[in-house]
Amino acid sequence: MNHLDEMTCLLYLERQLDRPRAQEVSAHAQGCAACRTLMRALERESRLLTRAMLEEDEPLPARLKEFQERAKRSLQWIWGVAFGLAATGAYALYTGYIEPWQQQLEQAGFGGTNMLSLLVFQGAFWKGWQSMITLLEATALLTLAGFGAVLFRRRIRRGTATALMLAGLCAVVALPQAVSASEFRKGHSVEVREGETIKGDIFLFADRVRIEGTVDGDVYAFSQDVGVSGHVTGDVIAFAHTLRIGGKVDGNIRAGLNTLTVTGGVSKNALIFCDYANLDSSGNIGGSITAFAENLNVDGKLGRDILIFSKHVSISGVVGGGIQAKGGTMSIGATGEVGGPVRFEGENAPEVSSGAKLASPVEYKKWEHRREYLNKNYYIWRVIWTAAFILFGLVLLMLLPKFGRETISAAEQFGAPIGLGVLVFFGVPIAAVIACITVVGLPLGILAVGIWLLMLFTAELVVGTVVGNWILGRGSSSWEIVGRMALGFVLVRIAYTFLSQVHVLALLGALGIWTWGMGAISLAFYRRFQPVIAPGSPAGPFTPPPLPPNTTVGGVQPA
Amino acid sequence: MTAPVKTDPTEAITRAKAGDALAWGELYRDYAPAIFRFCRRALPTREDAEDATMEVFMKLRDKLGQYDQSRSFSAWLYRVAANHCWDTLRRRKIRQDKETEDVDSVPLEHPDANQLDKLIEQRTSEEVRKALNKLGARARMALVMRYYSDMSYDEIADALGVRRAFVGVVLLRARHELRQALERTSALAAGGAT
Repeated sequence: MNHLDEMTCLLYLERQLDRPRAQEVSAHAQGCAACRTLMRALERESRLLTRAMLEEDEPLPARLKEFQERAKRSLQWIWGVAFGLAATGAYALYTGYIEPWQQQLEQAGFGGTNMLSLLVFQGAFWKGWQSMITLLEATALLTLAGFGAVLFRRRIRRGTATALMLAGLCAVVALPQAVSASEFRKGHSVEVREGETIKGDIFLFADRVRIEGTVDGDVYAFSQDVGVSGHVTGDVIAFAHTLRIGGKVDGNIRAGLNTLTVTGGVSKNALIFCDYANLDSSGNIGGSITAFAENLNVDGKLGRDILIFSKHVSISGVVGGGIQAKGGTMSIGATGEVGGPVRFEGENAPEVSSGAKLASPVEYKKWEHRREYLNKNYYIWRVIWTAAFILFGLVLLMLLPKFGRETISAAEQFGAPIGLGVLVFFGVPIAAVIACITVVGLPLGILAVGIWLLMLFTAELVVGTVVGNWILGRGSSSWEIVGRMALGFVLVRIAYTFLSQVHVLALLGALGIWTWGMGAISLAFYRRFQPVIAPGSPAGPFTPPPLPPNTTVGGVQPA
Repeated sequence: MTAPVKTDPTEAITRAKAGDALAWGELYRDYAPAIFRFCRRALPTREDAEDATMEVFMKLRDKLGQYDQSRSFSAWLYRVAANHCWDTLRRRKIRQDKETEDVDSVPLEHPDANQLDKLIEQRTSEEVRKALNKLGARARMALVMRYYSDMSYDEIADALGVRRAFVGVVLLRARHELRQALERTSALAAGGAT
């Protein structure tokens, strides 16, 4: 006897066969135990499925307990106030800040990128063109990671893909390069003896470190007391209590320490975080000094500029470039020579000896210790700025309502936007700098920086809207969304004002907001521009396969 | 066989249509748990289901005026939810090109009923739900529409964008996938036990 196929049995059980066929199947099943058993098994399977799906395994989430009817509350009157404040703010902003800044900068001969170029291209961060190759490598890695994410996204969730991608990147970045060329030395006291030559980088961990020989690479020292009287062809990177450079360093010094003394020669730059830094009269630094120090004494010779944040700066030696200093006091002795402009911003007027040789008089700006929050203008400006931001958000939402909703929806996923935000926050400026260097890519680089800045300013609004949604529930109309944005933004601002009293927390808070918001915008962009199936056909109707030969699908007919 | 349905909603619907917020609240309280569970079964994550539930009810609030009271409210509600979930999956590109290709390859055979019995007996609901999560979106969606919300073949065909004649094929194919997922779980458990 021919048995019924599974499809026929299923359609029969689901009452999808037409009457004659159903009667045929029914008659067959009465005489065929195998088919009856199959039907019973299929029925059991259906019941199992229904039971599994209907079972209340998860309670209704708290946020779904009540429909967010509060969304309907109108907050439109706020916009009248906000608009007025914002218009006032825009005018006051221009006349009070932008115009005077422009004039001051022009008078001071400041280009917008002077500080950046001092820090990056002339200063302590610049490692030469080799570092650009590293940047290119990093960009190549980022591109690869992007491809990886695109490949992965069909298989795993977007957030997971982003997390994997970031973790992979971190792992690659953390991999030590040319491990075989590096040397590690540990102990109570370690040294590179006189006459000894280390090829490659060396990592030294000890209470006392002495380098009397030659290191043909970088020196990484973690120690109480580090002394370099030999020759280092690369950089000296040190975390120590004391660092003395008596020998020759062809690269840079980058150090976090208590005391730095340079009596030898450093060919490039010094980036230091320390209590006390002294460039001895016999010492020589070819590049610039960027320092965050309590005291800085320059008695020796410095090839280029000084950028310093310190309690006290004393110059008795030769500075080839200019000085930009912020801090308590500054003195330039009779033997001091400065080849560039000297700008000092601090508590006390600089003491300049009459014998000092300066390219131009010292520009001094006195610090005014005012507690901002005791000033009533502070609050007025806060309100004006807040209103201006909200107005900005309002305009954006009115111009791009759908994209705004998509961004907010993306921000509510947390993991993916924050992961992507980290990438965008750090990756885009790097990519833009590289693009600008190629000159051909200059417009692209500038455009990228422009978009990045726009995203940065919008990030706080996105986060504010999410906070507003937490409080009032999701809004459906544009005005409801704007209301949530305003409320959330104000709350974020208030919270941030308190946080900003502690600088580290302020930085962390700002970073969190920026990466979260920027990530959400990027995610919305990504979703917007990914290819979609033609609208109106949810899954793309597919060409139907031929029907089973013994199955007649027709109207619903009871068996 | 259908998802739990609360008391007759006709009066609440009439009042909600007239703008009574309390009536809308009643409808929401009565139907939100079932819709959430529907979305939870159909979508990959809990967060997606939460969002979808909220969005379905927002759509409902706007579309309530279009509801024809001569028809079942819960059926209408499930159809809106199904369309929304399927649209969400489509937008996220969680679609199954593979399924589209091989959906016609359902073997017309008479499987061993004892083997099927053996596979499904002693299966807990939790195991079935876990297996469901491993299915392709179309297969899972079809099973949820049919066995959770008791949607008709016509409604399923409409929601999935397939011809009605092939809903049975999609469902059978989905069952096969489910069985394979359950078998894999058993094999893994057996492997882990040894």
